[in-house]
Order: sequence, then structure tokens, then C-alpha cells
Amino acid sequence: MSMTDPAPGRARASLFAQDIRTKKRNAAEARFRMYGMGAVGIGLILLVFLMVSILSNGASAFRQTFLEIPIYVDQAVVDPAGNRDLAAMKKVTTIGYGRILGASIMAALADKGIETEGLSERDITAIFSKEAAAQLRNRVLADTTLVGQTTVLRTFASGRIDGYFKGRVTMASAERDSNISPQQLRLADRMRDAGLISVAFNIDFILGPDASELRPEAAGLGVAILGSVYMMIIVLALALPIGVASSIYLEEFAPKNRFTDLIEVNIANLAAVPSIVFGILGLAVFINYAGLPQSSPVVGGLVLTLMTLPTIIIATRAALKAVPPSIRDAALGVGASKMQTILHHVLPLAMPGILTGTIIGLAQALGETAPLLLIGMVAFVREFPAAPPEGFLDPASALPVQVYNFTQRADPAFVERASGAIIVLLAFLLIMNIIAVVLRRRFERRW
Amino acid sequence: MNDMHLINRGVDMNETKISARNVQVYYGTTHAIKDVSVEILDHAVTAFIGPSGCGKSTFLRCLNRMNDTIDTCRVEGEITLDQEDIYDKRVDPVQLRAKVGMVFQKPNPFPKSIYDNVAYGPKIHGMTRNKAELDDIVESALRRAALWGEVKDRLAAPGTGLSGGQQQRLCIARAVATAPEVLLMDEPCSALDPIATAQVEELIDELRTNFSVVIVTHSMQQAARVSQKTAFFHLGHLVEYGDTSQIFTKPVDPRTESYITGRIG
Repeated sequence: MSMTDPAPGRARASLFAQDIRTKKRNAAEARFRMYGMGAVGIGLILLVFLMVSILSNGASAFRQTFLEIPIYVDQAVVDPAGNRDLAAMKKVTTIGYGRILGASIMAALADKGIETEGLSERDITAIFSKEAAAQLRNRVLADTTLVGQTTVLRTFASGRIDGYFKGRVTMASAERDSNISPQQLRLADRMRDAGLISVAFNIDFILGPDASELRPEAAGLGVAILGSVYMMIIVLALALPIGVASSIYLEEFAPKNRFTDLIEVNIANLAAVPSIVFGILGLAVFINYAGLPQSSPVVGGLVLTLMTLPTIIIATRAALKAVPPSIRDAALGVGASKMQTILHHVLPLAMPGILTGTIIGLAQALGETAPLLLIGMVAFVREFPAAPPEGFLDPASALPVQVYNFTQRADPAFVERASGAIIVLLAFLLIMNIIAVVLRRRFERRW
Repeated sequence: MNDMHLINRGVDMNETKISARNVQVYYGTTHAIKDVSVEILDHAVTAFIGPSGCGKSTFLRCLNRMNDTIDTCRVEGEITLDQEDIYDKRVDPVQLRAKVGMVFQKPNPFPKSIYDNVAYGPKIHGMTRNKAELDDIVESALRRAALWGEVKDRLAAPGTGLSGGQQQRLCIARAVATAPEVLLMDEPCSALDPIATAQVEELIDELRTNFSVVIVTHSMQQAARVSQKTAFFHLGHLVEYGDTSQIFTKPVDPRTESYITGRIG
């Protein structure tokens, strides 16, 4: 820089030396870039942190500890009369089947020569999930030929045993836990070595219904997924046609006056209304006034439709506006009517934008929780809703509400299940986004 | 056809196609066209010339009611096509535009194939009964627009993939395909290079055998080359209207003279 050292200002200077103003400008630009990179970096770090924490917490929800025990279905317990009369057999409760499980596991342990450290049969039976007796009962009632036979039952281990194999429960924590003892854990270890216990992928987490607070190992997302799918069907079927039709009318046909301006402002504001307000609206209108059943996908779908409509309308109007006026002129110029111009030329060109807006709206609706709490979808639902259309009126849950429900429960085993449910929810969102991209590619005219 | 060539530069038939009387156009409160009366002849090319913003495009768009699409636009006075008032309540602008075709300043083919671009008009007007008839119309329209030779092997290719000059000729073919009686052209060559311009001008000269052509242009040479009648607009007024040869050689109004000699505009 020791060339001619130009004076500040517009003095004659070499192009090779930067004057002070240029240096300042360049420094400002460099600073701005740093801020930008910093902002993006913070966002990325938080995203990575979120994904890592969800995946590390939730991945284990998809694997479960299973017991595989040969069960002797004792006729003296399940069918004392011995005539396979279903009505009579149904009178035997899960307590009776619990006794069968106890006897069978004791036999299996003796058969394999596994040391029990003096644990009582009751403590050993506790290795089974509380779900196991019900599972066995259902199986026997469905197939009475099993009575008197020995059948291998593959069933969940209890939540504590499952936690032990996933590292959540340790010998030290078991010392302080009234629900499990270190002896039971050591027995479980030996049972695994003998092949009676294994850890495997658990499809029931995705397909099965929710379970009570006491049996986290059996809790699944099936009802919630089905409820969410039903609601998305309703939202798509209602919000897309209504949204697109109203956008076309407002954008292409409506006169520009105070009234349409008011409508426009209202739509923009509706998009910003807190979602819980829509929940109250749904409660008041659809449940209290219209008398639709609580907790049903139809009410959830209607509420989410109201929420999604502004998003779709705004996106559709933007897409319609973006179609170049020269195309409209061209169509009108050859004598096309307004409707023909819109249907043949404007709408196809606006399609990618409309679809993107719709799927963004659907994705928002899929993740929405607050309004669903108010219309009763927070209820504990174990029964699968029927097939549509009747199923739309049956009680169901929804994925985000299921996440909320899991986080409300005391048993630490629900932590992984909440994270697992979030993973499923994110997977659905990812699928929807991929569909959006694919549809866009499809409809986009590259000429 | 042959006698057309004999009287090449003259007006073939002195039959009025479009007649405008005391036309006023307002955009909101702006008075854009002031008391314009003009007779546009059949089988002739009429050129509208004038400086930017003088209202010539606005007036052109009144002739097929394209101004209807602008909410604030208001047209007064009388415009008749074959003695029928086109602003009459009974007139459907869609039917009118099938009779009065339009070619725009910027080539605006539909984002569809070349074939579909030309076939669109005949299709929506139900001009054909089957595919073969439609094929014939498309071919003859493309031939008329001097584009057939260049695109006959790639009719399924996108219309927007053509060059600028080809696109404009495609738009002309599209307008011609609906068999209009009048063809309005709003600066059809402003986006074209000299070679494409020459092709389009040649085309315009041919088109007048079948249509009444009205062309808005900024180029006085173009007006002189292609038109039989010329109208000079200035600040919303129709200053002078007459035979092209008279306007360019013996203009009556001093403003016309100033414009064509390059002193205003």
C-alpha cells in the first residue's frame, strides 16, 4: 500500500489501491455476510440438535422386548365345563389367564434350567406385560382348539424389563424401584441368554392402539394415525375445492369494491387467528349446535378445514396473480370466454402454486394440536374407528394429540414413545412434502 | 387473386368494415380518447401511428372490446361492425372477438404445443367436426402465417420454444385460424428483428386479401410500407386520417407533418 497513497475524496487514485469509502463498503458487506451466515448457522445447529434429540430418544420406541414362552392352555382354568361354550369361556377373566402365564413361565424356566434366585411365581410373572394375559385370552377365545394344547405366545415384556434392555433401567435404579427388583433383571438377562427374551422391531407401535398408563410397552399409534388420515381426507375434500373456487371468484370475477376489500382483509387475518380459537368455534358450532359426536374425525376435519382455508386461498390467489396477463389476453383475443380462459389457461399454469399451498396447509393441519384438544380428540381411544364414511363419526385420536398424551403420562417409558410418535409425524410431513415436490414437477411447464 | 396484384397499393374495395363515431374513452377520470371518428375499410390495411401514449392502442382495443377487462375503463360513442353496434347490450364480447381477432405487441403463445396453439380457437368455437378438419385448419392457418414450412415436422413441440419472430407468426396463425373478419395488430413487430419484421409485413400484405387489418405501429416506415390508410393520433385526438400516400407526402395538419418529419413524438 506504499504506492502513491492517494488523499481521501475523489482525488486521482490508482485502481489498485482501495480508497477509504470502498474499504468501508467492503467491510460492511463482509459484516453483513457474517451476520447472515451466523443466523443460518444458529438455525441449522438448533435443527440438528432437535433432530438428534428426537431420533436418539425416539428410535428405541420402534424396538420392543418380546417374551417367547410355550404356553400350556389349561382346560381346567379356561373352560372348566369342558364343552367349548364361548359364552361360558368369556366369563374367565384375565386373572385366570394370568395364572396360566405364571404356570407356563415357571415350567419354561425349569425346562431350560434357569436359576430364579428364589423369586416368587408372582414376581416372575411380572416379567410379562400386563397386556399378555389379555392377548392370550383373545387368542384362545378366537381359536378354542388351543384349549388343552401348548402354544408359543410371543408377547411384550413389561415396561421395566424393556427399559432394562434399552438402558433406561439399571440395577441401581431397580434397587430403589418398587415395581422391579435386581433379581428380576438378572433373571431377564438369563432368559435372554436362553432365547426366551429377545429385542426386535415392533410393528404394533405403528399399527396398534394406545394402551393405558400402566402398560407403556403396549401403547401404539394406530388409532392416532388413522384419525389423522381421516381428518386429512376431510380437509383435502373440503378445503381444496372451496378454497380454489373462492380464490378464482375473488381474483377473477369479484368486483373491486369496499365489500371485497373487507373480505380480503378478513381472509388475511383469519390466517393469523390462533388455532385454539378455531377449536372453540368447532366446539360451539359443530358439537354443541350441530350435534356432531365428540372426538370424531369429522369434527376435527371440519375445524382443520376452517384453519386451512385461508392458507389455500392466499396461496391460490398468489398463484393466479402470477399467471402473466399476456396469456389471458391471448385467450380472450381468440374469443375464449372468461371461464374458458381460466379453466384452459390460467388454472393449469397456477396449478403448481395451488398444490404447494394446499400441501403446506395440509401439513399445518396435520401438526395442529390445540383445536383438537377442545373438541375431545384428547380422549383415550383404544377402539379403531370403522372404515369411512361411518368411521368419520367414530371417536379417534390424532398424531400430535397422541404425542401430547404420551408426554402427560408418568411412566418414563412414555418418553421414548412420545419421541417415536414425533418421528412418525415427521415422516408423514416428509412424505407430504415429497408429494408436493413431485406434483409440482409434474404440473410445471418447462417451456 | 391476380387483379389484386394489379392494384397492389390501392384500396381494393371501398367498403366500410368498422365505423367509429364520436368515441370517447376514459380510464377512471383520465380522458384517453377524445371524440374519435373513423371509417375502417374492408380488405385494406389501416395503420394507426402516433407518439407513445397518444391512445392508438387504447382505441385499437376498443374495436374488439378488450378494454372490457379493465375495470376502470369506460367507452362512449358508437362503434359498428358491419352496421351493428358492438357496444350494444345484446352483443356478447366473446362472439365479437371471434370475428375481430387480435395479435399483441409481445408474442404470447400458449404454453402448449404449436398445433394446440393454432387449434385452440377453432376448437372452442366448434368450427370443426373431426380431427381431419381441424388438421386442415391448422395447416392452412400456419401456411397463411408463412410458418408451415418451418414447423410442419414439429407440430407437437412447444410453441414457446420457437424464436421470437416465429412465435409472433404463430400468434398470427392462431388469430387467423378462427377465421376472423378483422385482424387487429398492436405493434406486432416491436419485439422482432428486421428479418422477422419483413416476414410479418409481407404476411400482413397478404392477409388483407381476406381481412380488414388494423395495425398499430411506431415505425412510420412500416406504416408506409404495409398500409393503404393511415390515421395519426396525438394526445387522444385523431388528428388526421387518409390514404397512406397522402398522409406521408401531403399531410394537411401541421402536427402530422411535424410528427412524420420527426419534430414531435
